[in-house]
Amino acid sequence: MTTGSLILATIGILFGATGTYLLLPHRLGAAKTRTIYILGAVFASLGLVGFLALLSPPALSPLGDFIAGSFFYVFAGGAIGCGVMTVTSRNPVYSALWFAAVVVSVAGLFLLADAQFLAAGSVIVYAGAIIVTFLFVIMLAQMEGRAVYDRAARSPGRAVFTSFLLLWSLTYCLASVRGKPDGPPPAGELAGPEARLLRGREIAGFYQLAETNEGRKALEHSLRPTSSLYVEADPSKPKPNVAGLGEALYADHLLTVELAGSILFAALVAAVLIANPKRAGVPPTPAAAVEV
Amino acid sequence: MTDPFTIDLLRNYLLVGAALFALGMLGFIARRNLIVMFLSAEMMLQGVALSLVAFGRYHGNWSGQVFTIVILTVAACEASIAMALVVVLFNRRSSLDVTLWQDVREPGVETTDLADEAGEAAPMEPIEGVESYPHLTPAGVEPAHPIQPWTERRR
Repeated sequence: MTTGSLILATIGILFGATGTYLLLPHRLGAAKTRTIYILGAVFASLGLVGFLALLSPPALSPLGDFIAGSFFYVFAGGAIGCGVMTVTSRNPVYSALWFAAVVVSVAGLFLLADAQFLAAGSVIVYAGAIIVTFLFVIMLAQMEGRAVYDRAARSPGRAVFTSFLLLWSLTYCLASVRGKPDGPPPAGELAGPEARLLRGREIAGFYQLAETNEGRKALEHSLRPTSSLYVEADPSKPKPNVAGLGEALYADHLLTVELAGSILFAALVAAVLIANPKRAGVPPTPAAAVEV
Repeated sequence: MTDPFTIDLLRNYLLVGAALFALGMLGFIARRNLIVMFLSAEMMLQGVALSLVAFGRYHGNWSGQVFTIVILTVAACEASIAMALVVVLFNRRSSLDVTLWQDVREPGVETTDLADEAGEAAPMEPIEGVESYPHLTPAGVEPAHPIQPWTERRR
């Protein structure tokens, strides 16, 4: 990551911030002209292109890697663009549908990161359940068309400044972190940024050399064979996704599964209790008594 | 054999996750509709889940995906409770505007009268242009239905 790409990132994020500010609703709910919308869309897409140019390009030589890298660009651009549309849509129904598009794009990115079960699961849970719940509530609560609070934003200038400053800081940190490697010395010929963020099993391989190291026992406990993505920690032999994930989930994280079930049950009870208009212990009103 | 998931690929995933997180934060701060605010919070969760999955893939273990499953669970619980709350809040004030709930703020914090300002600046009549709704013809009185021969026979 060079200085030139940092300048590119700054320019891209500035363009994106300008475009998003132009696309957001006005502070007082005043209407924006079509010219402002087109200008905002142009600025936002320029910013998106600048941000995508910041990503490391895919390798060209094997065709499979190149195709996977191109799909990464497609899904990343789709996720960020649909995210901008989610935030800036005047109509909450459109916001929910754009958010479904964000979820589908992120599921594509999950697929590219070898997380097939999570891709399917997030599409089912988010786009299938949560979005439908949102749409039901929107239809229940908002029957009279577009409201004032949908056409007006709450201090959009300061919000855009804050969040894009956060994005620029994160980009800067991710792009140009320098410093001494914190972990054990890199084994062998590792050089460059790979030496600064050692993979878990390399750290384990280092500590297992030192017999008297106190962290060794903890590392051995936390790096059991069920927790690895590969058979015998060999990257050329990946485990099947659902089987490996289930093994890790029910061997290493059994308590987590139980806790998740308890949380779901508590949320079920809470949702029923909150949404139910009839309170226990409150005497019925006279009108209700007359009706009965 | 070296892992094909290099640190450059990890950085790409982290950048996209950071962008989703920042966009979700923007929506949570800037929008005033309660439902859109919760959608933005879900978008922040998506960015975090993307980063976790990429870290797990980089380190070669399942922890990132297990954590993302926990995030999915918590997001489902959060959505159900939040929607129940939104229904209750809508029944109290007949509006999804979050600025109507400023009386639950900390003591000593100034209120902003965004709702009144917006109401004065932009009344509810439809705006010409992109943002206007179609005008539907008002439905009149129901016309008298002519009695068909087959209904006469049935009477």
